[in-house]
Amino acid sequence: MAEIGHGKKEIVERILEPSQAKAKMEGLPKIEVNSQIANEVIGIAYGFFCPLEGFMGKADVESVCKKMRLADGTVWSIPILFDLSEGEIADYGVKAGSSVLLTFGGNPMAILDVEEVFDYDKKSMCVDVYGTDEEKHPGCARTYSYKDKFVGGKISLVNKPKINPPYDPYFIPPLEMRKRFKEKGWERIVAHQTRNVPHTGHEWLMKGAWFQAYAELPIEKPLVGVLVNAIIGAKRKGDYIDEAIILTQDELRKSGYFGDHNHMTSLTFWDMRYAGPREAVFHAALRTNLGLTHHMYGRDHAGVGTYYGAYDAHHLLATVQNELDITPVYSMNWLYCPHCGEITSEGLCNHKSEWQKFSGTVIRSIVQDGVKPPRLIFRPEVFDLVMECADKYGFGSPFVTDEYLEKRIPVFEIPPM
Amino acid sequence: MAEKYPINIWINEDRFKKLEKAGLGDLCEEMLAGLKVLRVYANDEERDKILKVFPTAKFDSATTKSIELLPKNVKDAIFDKVVEKESVDIMAEFLKAY
Repeated sequence: MAEIGHGKKEIVERILEPSQAKAKMEGLPKIEVNSQIANEVIGIAYGFFCPLEGFMGKADVESVCKKMRLADGTVWSIPILFDLSEGEIADYGVKAGSSVLLTFGGNPMAILDVEEVFDYDKKSMCVDVYGTDEEKHPGCARTYSYKDKFVGGKISLVNKPKINPPYDPYFIPPLEMRKRFKEKGWERIVAHQTRNVPHTGHEWLMKGAWFQAYAELPIEKPLVGVLVNAIIGAKRKGDYIDEAIILTQDELRKSGYFGDHNHMTSLTFWDMRYAGPREAVFHAALRTNLGLTHHMYGRDHAGVGTYYGAYDAHHLLATVQNELDITPVYSMNWLYCPHCGEITSEGLCNHKSEWQKFSGTVIRSIVQDGVKPPRLIFRPEVFDLVMECADKYGFGSPFVTDEYLEKRIPVFEIPPM
Repeated sequence: MAEKYPINIWINEDRFKKLEKAGLGDLCEEMLAGLKVLRVYANDEERDKILKVFPTAKFDSATTKSIELLPKNVKDAIFDKVVEKESVDIMAEFLKAY
């Protein structure tokens, strides 16, 4: 049975059989791609980005920028671009009708069948997508760093990525993910978007969303799950290392704060754009493709600095809600109330003068000071695992350092063919 | 009144012993389910200088209005200055060195 994804389009993996791939890539010019493009090739080929079949052409880019839709009218909020310099276009003979072999780490990854080579004004793209053209916005900085030409065309994966431990069990593409949900018997699944090691505020965001999603469903057997979908992409110094993020999220299940019956952890390769409201819409499409029915959105979802209002994402989602196949679950902040002696929601507790709010940044600060936070704030199993990850993967630090960036285990590699 | 922004120096056993030895145990507050913290305050100008001099530091504008993620050695130096001066009002003097 066809699996239907975002925009009511069928999810089709664009992956060639090895024999077919070898014949098709013979003699093609090879272009080495960077990690962002490699991440997006995986996103397209496995259906994470359904209905996209390749990198966008000008009509789609223009329509996405100006109307937040693909040229065919499907809601889509972030341009997915393949950039080359004018010199590269000439050197590789890239033109409409040609094909090139994209390589990553020197090995064949995908064929790009070129449909179009075009220019696009980066500044106007920034204003449309990010609401600013300031270079200090990380999404704008990424846009300005694109080379001057864009190439649109369909992608076919010729060589599957080898996901390295400890990430390998967490790479679950859309078609496989949907099978697993069926096996679990979940009727509703709520997405938790994260790039963080979980503190109990995050844990309760998930628990709260689970209650909200459960709503009127019968409770005789587990019908609702939380899917943690960690975004794995470019890192900044001071972030938690990826290994700590993915393993500690799963630790909440392993240590019994959740269970197999209601919790799963997975990852998606994506370089965050910090586009706030537009990124929220992108996340809705991505998680629809993964088979989720609900999506948590908190304050300032995927925002950065002071570019977006706390609830701008909620407002933008509301404008396209009828066209999305995923229901937003809006979450209030969770905090510690010493009067209640528990983690509670700011929408519930009225001991406002006693509230002790905390954030991921505050917890990172505590961990950085070498102090173990109380278990009501940070689960001891999570703390111990963070420290273990620091030793095992982070060269002594649970946070990204220059040494980590230089020597870390790659999340995936493209093997030789 | 001018705004003041706390730098949270989280108190582990080692730091607490030093504070008690100096008779400064009372300077700690309890925050986050009993976790002890020493709060050293910066004004607007000092906050801006801290964020400039220590680029890993972050002002948590959304939740706690505190200055976080200062490197541990910097926090240790701030802590030592508090113990030396027997006061949490040391930021102006501390920043003179930078």
